[in-house]
This record gives sequence, C-alpha cells and structure tokens, in this order.
Amino acid sequence: MSKARKSVLCWAALSPFLIVVLFPYLTMLSTALKQKDEIFTFHRSWLPREFYLGNFVELFVDRNFGRALVNSLTISVGATLLSLAVAIPAAYALTRMRVPGNSALTNYLLITQMISPIVLIIGLFRMFAYFGLINSLMSVIIAHSAFFMAFAVWMLKSYFATIPKDLEEAAWIDGASRFSAFVRIFLPLCLPGVVVTAIFTFVNSWNEYAMSLTLLRDVSQQTAPVQIAFLTGTLYQIEWHLIMAATLIASVPVAVVFASIQRYLIGGMSLGGVK
Amino acid sequence: MSAIDSSTPIRTARLRRSGTAQSNSLFALILVAPCLLLSVTVIGYPIFDVIRMSVFDVSRIGVVREFAGFGNFIKTFSDPVFVQACWQTLVWTVAVVGGTMLVSIPIALILNEEFYGRTIARTIVLLPWAISLAMTAVVWRYVVNGDFGTLNMTLSALGLPFDGYPWLADARMAFTLEILVGILVSVPFTVTILLGGLTSIPDTLYEASAMDGARALHSLRYITMPLLWPFMQIAIVLNVIYVFNSFPIIWIMTNGGPSNRTDILITYIYKQAFAFGKLGNAAAGSVIMFAMLLVFAVIYLYLTKARGARDDV
Repeated sequence: MSKARKSVLCWAALSPFLIVVLFPYLTMLSTALKQKDEIFTFHRSWLPREFYLGNFVELFVDRNFGRALVNSLTISVGATLLSLAVAIPAAYALTRMRVPGNSALTNYLLITQMISPIVLIIGLFRMFAYFGLINSLMSVIIAHSAFFMAFAVWMLKSYFATIPKDLEEAAWIDGASRFSAFVRIFLPLCLPGVVVTAIFTFVNSWNEYAMSLTLLRDVSQQTAPVQIAFLTGTLYQIEWHLIMAATLIASVPVAVVFASIQRYLIGGMSLGGVK
Repeated sequence: MSAIDSSTPIRTARLRRSGTAQSNSLFALILVAPCLLLSVTVIGYPIFDVIRMSVFDVSRIGVVREFAGFGNFIKTFSDPVFVQACWQTLVWTVAVVGGTMLVSIPIALILNEEFYGRTIARTIVLLPWAISLAMTAVVWRYVVNGDFGTLNMTLSALGLPFDGYPWLADARMAFTLEILVGILVSVPFTVTILLGGLTSIPDTLYEASAMDGARALHSLRYITMPLLWPFMQIAIVLNVIYVFNSFPIIWIMTNGGPSNRTDILITYIYKQAFAFGKLGNAAAGSVIMFAMLLVFAVIYLYLTKARGARDDV
C-alpha cells in the first residue's frame, strides 16, 4: 500500500472523532462573531452575517471580563511560581541525594496527585475560611500549588534524572559550592524541563474550576472559567454570543501554548508519569 | 599560590562528599520540607477535617457539636437520592471509561502509523486536553441547546427532524450526552498513554512475525494487544480515578437534573454541602468517596510496581 493511500485511509478513519473535537470550536467562532438577533431566530446559519467584533467590545467594556482574565492570570502565575519554588528543590533532592524514606515520599506524592480536590472541598473551604482567605486569590493560589505540585515534582524528577551527574561533580571539584553548581550548571541544563513543567502547571491552574468556584464567592474575584459558567446560570435569556466570545478568548491562547508543548509532555509522561 | 588555590577546593569537595551521611540527608530533608509542608497542610488537614466532621454532628454553619458515631453515614445511606447517585456514578464511570478505551485504542493504533499530516492529526486529537472542562461543558451545553444550538441547526440543515429537540430535558438523553462529552475529554490523555506503550514495542517483533508469515491482523492480536495490555490497565485505572470524581461536566450541563437523574456522588455531595448546608452528610459522602479513591490509588501503585518489577527482569 502506498503512503498516500494509507494517509487517506488513516484520515478517513480518524475523521469522525476529529469532527467531534472541532465542532465546539466552530460553534464558538461562528457564534462569537454573530450579532444577538442572528442567534435568537428561526433561520440560523453557520456563517455570521458580517465579521462582527462587537461582542468582544461588549464583553470587556460592559461585562468587565478583563477582570476575570486578570484574576485567572494572577492565580495561574502565582500557582506556577509557588509550585515550582517548592517542587524544584524537592525534585533535586529526590534525584540527586539520599532522602530518608524516598520511596514512601514518592508514593505519597503519587497518591496526592490522584486525590481530587473536589472530594475534600468542604475541608478546604473550612480551612481557608478559618484563615479568613475566602474571596482571596491567595487561597486559590495555595490550593492549586498544593494539588498541582506533585505532578510538577514528578515531571521535574524525570528531567533531572537525564542530566549527567559528572558535570556538577566537576564543578564541585573546581571549587563551586553545591548551590552555585546547582544554579550555574544544573538549572540551565534542565531549563527546558522546568519551562515545560511551568507551562503545564499554568494551564492546569488556568483551567481549574471546582476550587475557584468554591473558594471565591464574590463576583469580582471570579476566574474566567467560573465567570463563563456563571453567565449561563441566568434565568433570563442566556447571552450565548457573549459567552462564546468569552470562551474563545479564554481557551484559544491556552490551546495554542498547550499544542506547542505537547511533544515534551508525551516524552515526560512516558519517562516518569506513567511508569 | 596556584597550588594552594587548586588543592583547597579539592579537599573541601572531598570533605563535602565524604561528610557524614547524616548531615547530607538532613540537607536533603530540608530541600523536601517545603513541598511536604504545603502538601500536608493543604491536603492532609482537609482529609482529617472531613473525617472528623463525618462522625460528628455538624450544624449548618459548620460548628462541630457532639460525637455522632455512624449517624451521618446511616442518614446518608438511607437517602434515596444518595443511593440513586451511587448507581448513576457506577453507570457514568463504567460508560465513560469503557467508551474512552474503545475510542482510544483504534485512534492510538492509527496515530502510531506513518502517514501524511500525522502531527496535525495528533494535535487535533489532543486538543480537548488543553481546554478547561468547565468551558468544554459550557460550549456543549450551547451546542445541544434545543432552540439555538448548532447541533440542531446542522441536523435540520441535513433534513433530519431535530428542529427544536430539547436534548437536555430528558434525563436519559442528557446523561448519555454527558457521558459522550466525558469520553471526548478523556481520549487525549488515554491516547497519550497508549502511544507511549506502542512506541515501546520493538519493531523487530513485527519483522520476525512477518517473516514467519503472520498477517497484520495476527500481529495485532498476538503481539500488539498483549504488549499493550499493561498500558491499557494503567489507562483504565487512572481514568476511573479521574472520571469517578469529575465535577464540571455534569455540574454545568445539567446540574444533576432533571430531578437528580443525572447526579453522581460528587455533585450530590456538593449540593448537600453548599446548597442544603447538610455538612455532616456531605462529609460522610466525601469519606466514602475518599476511601474508594484510595482503593483505586492502591491498585494503580500495585500495577505500576508489578510492571516495574517485570521491566527489571
């Protein structure tokens, strides 16, 4: 069988699934560019009447969606920085040193990665309420870090293990302290791994729903996914044109970034995540 | 001068490495400590708190009153909605995980072949992974909207009689659609695991079997499937864990309705806690779910350990 013929067959076999995957994107795009009266009518079509960007303007000017995006960004950046700050030293110790109870610790992290925060949501809510952190972005930053950190440690460990030890040892012999060898030799070498881990943590935090929904009760503190879901909850006519514009803004940049790192993700998963 | 310069670092380096193992492992513990502290506080304390609430009488605003033994559990188990949610959780988990495996295995096999545009196909297949479950659910809720959704619009344009059909009004249909969305969002992760498994199968095996006259279907049955099985097991267990307590799809698409017919355990618990203020019941439900999660986690650890042991041999 020629490669061309095989390609046609492969694409044909995949097409039903690919259509289902792409259908929501087409829906988002088509609806976000429509005007309100085009949606609530009997004669609807996929193509918008004109290339209408007014929904985006309305979203930012009247609905303050910018604030939800800023909240999401603050939380995601904060959670990424905090989880890397604790995960990098831990992953370094677990790959380079003799940590007492190493395997117990690794198993513990693995199990915490499987515990869904939603099962513990009442406990989480009460704990943050006790510290007065409900409605504070800080509570979600801390919660996200704690739940996404195990995966970060796991990914970083698999990258760190690929860096040869000799380089650092050479640096120690040349008189570098452990810390400066770590910063000047080790970190630059595993920077790609750290970046991929950071992006993945960022995307996870950006997309998280249940904890943000529960810990941030005030509308002004809502993250983008929570606000979008919140907009569908009105008893009055749901403004789908605005909602689709919002999902488009909140999902496409993340999808592009994710698509660009998926290669590394597959590598990292087969190295450490699943094995 | 230079002799001193070069000799001192070597001595200290040696000292550092031959230095007592104790101080070294103490340093290692210090590096691990922040990670452990964050995890034990934010995950460990809520576990303790939920277990405590489940055996105490808790007021609406969360004041823990007297010891209640298994009172909360008995109350929870005698709630018909809870029992119904248990069954629905079973259906949800089995259907989503089973459907995901059925869809993912052929997709992974195809993506493992060499063909034009494979990278693009792979990117599209993995796309649902990048999007928030909450936003996926919102978009699908609109897609299947009876009056304004793009599904009915497309079906009517094709001449099918679905104009104005309210997909989410009927509980059975709504639950089926939610299961399909659940499958859609679980496929990317599953395909990733299976692709990892497929690339680990050495080509020489296929070459040898082709030399022995085996046909493609035989190779699939007797080489690919048995060698892929450990990866399928892992994918099944991890999917069970993720799907079992998946919250946003059902919460956003139907909120458990109509009349609790699409509630699963996690949406039931969330309603008990944050809509009805029955914190004791919610805590008991959480403990039951947590125990089940632990069982799955242990199965996962066992599977990966067993695989690790085989790899060593």
